[in-house]
Amino acid sequence: MRPMFNRPDFRSLAGRIGLAVALAAGLPALAAAQSVTIVREVDSNNYDPHKSTARAASEVLFMMGDTLVALDPDMKTIAPGLAESWEVSEDGKTYTFHLRDDVKFCDGKPMTAEDVVYSFTRWQDPETKSPVAWRAGPLEEVVAVDDHTVEYRMSAPYSELLYQLSQSFATIIDKDNVEALGEDFGVTGFNGTGPFCWGEWTPRNKMVLTRHDDYVWGPSFYETTGPASVEEVVWQIVPEENTRTVAVLTGQSQITQYVPYIALEQLRAAPNVEVVQSDAAFWTYFFGFKIDKPTVNDAAVRQAINLAVNQEAMAEDLFFGEVQPAYSYVSQDALDWNHAIDGELLRYDPEKAAQILDEAGWTVGADGIREKDGVKLQPLAYVFAGSTWQKISEYVQAELRKVGIDLQLQPFDATIAWGKLATQEFDVFGMSFPYISSGDALNLYFRSENMPTPNRMNWDDRETDDLLEAGLTATDEAVRADSYGEVLKKVHEAAVWLPLYHEPMTIAQSSELKTVTPHNLYGCGLYKGLGIAYKE
Amino acid sequence: MTATASTEAAGVAPEDIAAPRRASWWRRLLRDRAALLSMAVLAVIVLGAVFAPLLAPYDPYANSRQVMVPPAWAARGSMAHLLGTDGQGRDILSRLLYGTQLTLLIGVVSVGLGGFVGSLLGLVSAFYSRIDPWVMRFVDMMLSFPAILLGLALVAVLGQGAFPVILALAISSVPDCARISRGIAVGIMKQEYIEAGRAVGLSDRALFGRYLVRNAISSIMIFISLRFGQVILIGAALSFLGLGARPPLAELGMMAAQGRDFLLFAPHIAVIPSVLIFIIVLAANVTGDALRDVLDPRLQA
Repeated sequence: MRPMFNRPDFRSLAGRIGLAVALAAGLPALAAAQSVTIVREVDSNNYDPHKSTARAASEVLFMMGDTLVALDPDMKTIAPGLAESWEVSEDGKTYTFHLRDDVKFCDGKPMTAEDVVYSFTRWQDPETKSPVAWRAGPLEEVVAVDDHTVEYRMSAPYSELLYQLSQSFATIIDKDNVEALGEDFGVTGFNGTGPFCWGEWTPRNKMVLTRHDDYVWGPSFYETTGPASVEEVVWQIVPEENTRTVAVLTGQSQITQYVPYIALEQLRAAPNVEVVQSDAAFWTYFFGFKIDKPTVNDAAVRQAINLAVNQEAMAEDLFFGEVQPAYSYVSQDALDWNHAIDGELLRYDPEKAAQILDEAGWTVGADGIREKDGVKLQPLAYVFAGSTWQKISEYVQAELRKVGIDLQLQPFDATIAWGKLATQEFDVFGMSFPYISSGDALNLYFRSENMPTPNRMNWDDRETDDLLEAGLTATDEAVRADSYGEVLKKVHEAAVWLPLYHEPMTIAQSSELKTVTPHNLYGCGLYKGLGIAYKE
Repeated sequence: MTATASTEAAGVAPEDIAAPRRASWWRRLLRDRAALLSMAVLAVIVLGAVFAPLLAPYDPYANSRQVMVPPAWAARGSMAHLLGTDGQGRDILSRLLYGTQLTLLIGVVSVGLGGFVGSLLGLVSAFYSRIDPWVMRFVDMMLSFPAILLGLALVAVLGQGAFPVILALAISSVPDCARISRGIAVGIMKQEYIEAGRAVGLSDRALFGRYLVRNAISSIMIFISLRFGQVILIGAALSFLGLGARPPLAELGMMAAQGRDFLLFAPHIAVIPSVLIFIIVLAANVTGDALRDVLDPRLQA
């Protein structure tokens, strides 16, 4: 039976929203004709590309700055950005980028090879203490051959390079601007080459961006390569999700990716709102197991957990069918996914879960909880506090209870959760992450050198390390796909994770705007903002 | 034991002084209709909580595919779930019964613990006037910690759970109870029967236990009963902030918090537990007030 919320009481909702409309109508038109307001949940602490890992920072940086290469919304194709072309040396260690000669910063200064060299040097400089420096790969030096040619020299081949250079962390910045602002770079100003320029930032309230009028070097997959259609973009912070929903319904916000799933049904029904969703879902939620801790060190237990949880029902009931149930650790649409194991993925089968546990010697005790050799099947899970993880973890807990597994939940506030998740105290952890490709995800989570974090599973396997290295340094795409495919097969067979769902990019927008194409890069749905335009 | 005219006879059992009009207080309580009503409501809630395992129609932890079913009286409600279901498809009535159990337990334990430690501190410091300034300055210091902040700090150290919440509530109840009981005890210490007790050579222990505690206890109990409502409210607030019981346990504040996300679309999930918190706190306060009215000797004149 379909749940009841499918036919919601729209009238009573309309009544409540009607009040908000009346209030909003009383205000003067806040938005000038060519301005858009984007509501979002949180702000970043700064907008320095090298000093923040926050999605909130990347969202704005993609609009204010450019990268050498851009990523197509298909999440696979690399498109020219500031570099109009590039060559890779035979050994795969040197990339030569040919820069466009018409690029200007917001203050009118032309961008040259020196700026690229400065940006990457600062990114890698130990003084910068960048938490994302590793993304640049085994970089040795960046050299300006002439004003518009840059050589990126590495000590080993790095097949992820172009994808990493499309991230906001590789944004080209202006040396004079960085030196003039010092500690305040990205706080009181930012001089970039993007389609929009820094206007005014009031932290935890709003970020105002103004159009970069000279901009013509946008990526080719946009309908326009510049300048942007709208004159002003306002990133407005609205922490409460119901308030964001009402803001979109009443036209106070024209576009946002931050509306709750429960509201999408209503937003689709509203005549002034359009909801668009990407096919690709490159943000995955999962539980990981510490494979060397009692109870979850038993592969049978991990397999049974995978079989006992109904991801499809979870996607339907908790997220209203707006997310994709996950059986794989990365989206099956991701680059280098191993389609050979499609048929072997563990799917919902509670009877088989019970059978596997019985066979492995875990017998049901008097209280309904399984035990073996006096050890109760009660793995301890550390999860983030907050409504999303509360929903997910309570759901999984209830599902596991049905097969006799008593999952103990210990939620932590995000401020201390990261520290707790770096310890060996727990058996299971809840996590979600964005990625570009299979290799991106695997290198992050399954390398033995990444223990205890982000490899919180303690997956310590020589062969995996060798395969990942082979994939990372591969100069041939087939070799790379084979190496990563082998690792995918290994970790799925070992059931190291319980995949839960892949989150597609969902954007609610005013129907006064042209329909945007949702992007997935680092979870920033609007990417460069060139797709935001009012209908004629 | 109801004789009231024998106080001048030194050495007489001190019960006689403790509650001079014991026979009549409950009769006056029965005349107070608001008090009766609120006590009846409290009694029903307590019985419901105690017998939750017998009364609950469903397993409060079992999820189902029937999510967000509205209450029976609403347009699309069903009699299968009288108060509807929550976002995980769990029966709200069952969770409410179990949740009340935990909420009341947290209230009773923390008020009991805080009240005991607090009033002991207050009584001792009034009895031994030499340590009085030290104890009371310490209590002042404790008073400067808000309960919510204390709860946050304890949860950060101990992790989420009912125990840190009880600890935070108990600790935050200590200073108020200490101050009130010290005030009462200082008054009692000036009474002549204390002098008389000392004069006949009673030990400190007997003097403290039989004379001071027995005379102060009823006033302290009244204060503690008034404090109960407050503690329930702060406890619910802490749970609402996600500091309370660990899932899958149900707790009223936590249930309200879980419903917050659905407020626009399925308001019953948040409203029902909130209303119950309101009723419990109101009934506890009215009952406490009524008890004070009939028991406080200063209001009897």
